[in-house]
Amino acid sequence: MNREFEYIRCHICEAVNYVNDKNTKCRRCHEKIVQDLKISYHKTLAFLITAIIFYIPANIYPILISKQFGKTTTNTIIGGIIHLWEAGSYPIALIILLASVFVPLLKFILIIYLLISTKYNLNSSKIDKHKLFYITEVIGPWSMVDVFVVIILSVLIHFSGIQIYPGDGATAFGLMVFFTMMSALSFDPRLIKHRKGNRSNAKP
Amino acid sequence: MITEEELDNLIICKKCHTLHKRVPLPPNKKAFCSKCDILLYQNNPNIIDKTLALVISAAISLFVAFKFTIVTIDIQGLEQSLTLYALFMVILEQHQYIVGIMFIFLIFIFPITIIFSMLILLILMKLKKGAYLTHRLLILLAHIRPWSMVDIFFISLLVAMVKLFDYAYIELGVSFVALIFTLILDIIITKNISFYELWDLHTKIYGHIDE
Repeated sequence: MNREFEYIRCHICEAVNYVNDKNTKCRRCHEKIVQDLKISYHKTLAFLITAIIFYIPANIYPILISKQFGKTTTNTIIGGIIHLWEAGSYPIALIILLASVFVPLLKFILIIYLLISTKYNLNSSKIDKHKLFYITEVIGPWSMVDVFVVIILSVLIHFSGIQIYPGDGATAFGLMVFFTMMSALSFDPRLIKHRKGNRSNAKP
Repeated sequence: MITEEELDNLIICKKCHTLHKRVPLPPNKKAFCSKCDILLYQNNPNIIDKTLALVISAAISLFVAFKFTIVTIDIQGLEQSLTLYALFMVILEQHQYIVGIMFIFLIFIFPITIIFSMLILLILMKLKKGAYLTHRLLILLAHIRPWSMVDIFFISLLVAMVKLFDYAYIELGVSFVALIFTLILDIIITKNISFYELWDLHTKIYGHIDE
């Protein structure tokens, strides 16, 4: 048995726990720390699939609807970025592109990679995987930028002549971010350490 | 079997999950992870007093940030302000309940809960009272901490302002400054005291709490 495998960092109070079969609760905050790894795996997968499903309407439906003297124009995420790029505001276009296209895709890819690598015991560095998971947790909320911008604009541009509404795409996008965050939160870091069979590098 | 004291002297890095043994630090020194150089813990004297002062200022600036106008725009004489009240009204009017409720929770309810929990927590820890309440507050903080998005709201605000720059005259309100203050204070608080250290202090003050 690998010695390091038995020390667990509680995700609530960050205390180091020495886990055997008897105790399943954290010694300091008494929250449950040892949950079934299968449950954690399937929860992560389920939330991830939900998020990917929401990602489709988030890109198809308009995120922003503007009514200008009766004339209605709609903007999807990609459309909005192209519009900004053509108008010459390159930094803003890049921020939105990064936050609403790259960050969600990166999160999907990272979580899928982590799930596959734990399922099939891919021979990659454990520390790298922990770092990847840390990145996934840190970048998660930043994809909300586009939704927040739309809501701020809808509050500010609220005149009788011109109005801006958040569209259905904004709802889908917000829910997508929510479910990717839930997915990352339900991923148990122990999944990375838990490797069936291949324990050749374990200390005696 | 390992004793609790021995376990308290161990720390696992939050980034790479490497197990470290804690070494005693001289005052105002920091300990970093040997693998990824992230801050593990620090020895900061009078940490409760310092953090309490910062949290009180953060609470005041957060109150100001939500009470007054953040920005006002002016398009050919037509004025519109961004305030929390206007936000509630627009959400009710436009029937965007899912996005709206999410927004209000992430921007308003969670940050306020975090700041006031911190405030109550630190006051109780300073008075060395309320062992169980502080314990529950720390658990609450751990659960809602990832869901506070004031910093992202501020970046979004800047993006929205740049978008409006060509069409409208933008006037910054009192709350805009207060928002910047809140963010700076938030950064200082998280730099000053980590969650690990809060729990460590809790154990030092009240000892281990039974269920």
